[in-house]
Amino acid sequence: MTVLMRVTEVSGRPVVTVRGDDVAQVRDVVYGGGNGEVAGFTLAGRGLLAGPLKHGLPWGGVRALGRDAVIIDDESVFQPRDEVIARAQAKGGDVFGSQVLTDDGVELGEVVDVVLDVDEYADVVGYEIDPTEALSKDNKRVLIPLPDTLAVSGERLIVPAAAVDFVTDDLAGFGAAVEAFRDRLRESGSQA
Amino acid sequence: MRFSEGRGHPVVGTETADTVGKVQRFVVDASQARVVALVLKKTPDKADVLRWADVITFGPDAVTVPSAGLLVEPDGELARLTNKKRSLLGQRVLTDAGDDIGEVDDVDFDPADGSIRHLLTSGGEVDAARLLGLGSYALMVRHS
Repeated sequence: MTVLMRVTEVSGRPVVTVRGDDVAQVRDVVYGGGNGEVAGFTLAGRGLLAGPLKHGLPWGGVRALGRDAVIIDDESVFQPRDEVIARAQAKGGDVFGSQVLTDDGVELGEVVDVVLDVDEYADVVGYEIDPTEALSKDNKRVLIPLPDTLAVSGERLIVPAAAVDFVTDDLAGFGAAVEAFRDRLRESGSQA
Repeated sequence: MRFSEGRGHPVVGTETADTVGKVQRFVVDASQARVVALVLKKTPDKADVLRWADVITFGPDAVTVPSAGLLVEPDGELARLTNKKRSLLGQRVLTDAGDDIGEVDDVDFDPADGSIRHLLTSGGEVDAARLLGLGSYALMVRHS
């Protein structure tokens, strides 16, 4: 069963061993590959005054990314932070604040959160955006689905125009919206 | 029997037939799903821990023990397990899938051998076979 979660909710989540010890907390998500999958996490210590840690958590060391904690076997799965960051290809983590534009030239809004689909891997499947009036009249944040592969570069993110038809306003219906959107792209044979 | 029922049980020395204390709380080895000792209150002196191995019976109304001389001041592993922070009651319960399923409200144990049968949590009953261990953050259980 896959679970959808917002990246801002993953940050700060405790990293807990299967023995129940909290050994770190998530600082940032590191994205890798072209499919926007999560390559790992940078970490901070536990407690209010704890700063960033010198080691990071590669995705391969994650036993489970749950709603309330990241579970690992033990601290031996940690790697030097620089090695974990080096796995990042796309500048996926820098999308916050970027403008989303459709491939037919409509400005949709600004990215305020990233939605992950978590199973054996954690993939970026959507953005939460602060919408322009073109997309939403009442200014409430909306979720916009993304294609399987997405080129992320620069300050603008280009999505297929069809994404507008699959916008939802909560996570509950978003998984189905992503599926339907990707089916539509496959049928039309168009890829962003 | 539940921890909430066993708490307050008088502990009686069978050799002298006098009360050596009352059950205050249960000391548990979570990875073994077992009660390993009892912490008593109103004991004759500072020694207030009774090892489960020294209990004759944990009866419906009282706990029997040969004598007060068996009470110990814990050291080593027993001292670690006796730490109040390792008490199961009130402990956060986390699955190995990373989901918080509530807090431990009570524990159902077998008074014959001290084995834990179930945890009663705010999120429902958890079979003791799912217990993985107790750490600084939570009591870990296998995802059902």
